[in-house]
Amino acid sequence: MSLVNYSTREITCKIVYYGPGRSGKTTNLHYIYGQVPEDRKGKMVSLATQTDRTLFFDFLPLDLGSISGFTTKFQLYTVPGQIYYQTTRKLVLQGADGVVFVADSQSRQLAENVESFQDLHENLAEQGIDARTVPLVIQYNKQDLPSELILGKQDLSDALNFRGVPEFSADALHGPGVFETLRSISELVLKRLSSGAGK
Amino acid sequence: MIIATVEGWVEAPLARYVEEARARLALLLHPSGQVVAQAGFTRSTDVMTACALAAAVHATSKELGRQVDGSGFRVLHHGGTDKQLHLAAVDLGRVAYICLTVFDEESSLGLVRMYFGDLCRELAAAAPEQPAKGPSLGLDFERELNHNLSALFGRA
Repeated sequence: MSLVNYSTREITCKIVYYGPGRSGKTTNLHYIYGQVPEDRKGKMVSLATQTDRTLFFDFLPLDLGSISGFTTKFQLYTVPGQIYYQTTRKLVLQGADGVVFVADSQSRQLAENVESFQDLHENLAEQGIDARTVPLVIQYNKQDLPSELILGKQDLSDALNFRGVPEFSADALHGPGVFETLRSISELVLKRLSSGAGK
Repeated sequence: MIIATVEGWVEAPLARYVEEARARLALLLHPSGQVVAQAGFTRSTDVMTACALAAAVHATSKELGRQVDGSGFRVLHHGGTDKQLHLAAVDLGRVAYICLTVFDEESSLGLVRMYFGDLCRELAAAAPEQPAKGPSLGLDFERELNHNLSALFGRA
């Protein structure tokens, strides 16, 4: 649920990075955090285990500046990807304005990707949200790995992108695709808000 | 006292609550973690982060309560060295919020709980029947968005 403050002309939107464990959700946020100037970002909070796996969520507030006269702020969250954190994923997903699904391009992770994508749709449905109406972007991460280890964009698209949503190849560790993914989901979320469906 | 709200009708009840309960800070937030209103002193508190964490704690308590007690816990109290937290649900029918109250030795849990009840009643009375309409973004919003994101990533 986007929050709009008419007195200060401010919009705040929540974007959740979803996907299987170790697919690179936290890495996306770390890259964004590293690239954004100090005055345009808040503290990045990570609730992680001792081995740096996300326990509850990562949180990064961003200030996008003025858009159509509204100061626009995005709050980026990740969910824990491991299967046993199902309840936590549902909690973090509450009130999301948009979702980035981060898929792991490694061939051996295909089943985990599909399972996590189904899990996303089930969790949205449980909250009474029609998954087809939620702004969604898919990122195929780790495309920098040797080609014999990964599936190409088309193969991953055939397996996951039955809705035909925007999709991007990425190497979140070094940056390619991270910015394009964020730009795409931002655009979808703001378009939906402007159309009146996102509030 | 700092007062900032997304919903104007929240401002007076929240300011009164902070004053009467002698709290340091009260944050009203949506269960998704978004700030709806703040009242009190926030110099040392990152409001957005505090709301994200408060929403997480509240959601966890609610779910934990549901699993062990059959119904979700609605109120949580934490006593720190100097400051204490009171985290509770504010159910207004059309919309549900969470209120995070920070208080110190100037107040007490009993006082906060008493005035929190008043806050809930005042908010319920002040809440509008219909939600406000969304903003209308200009035709050039995509260009502005792309420009701002490029600037954010040092590509402008």
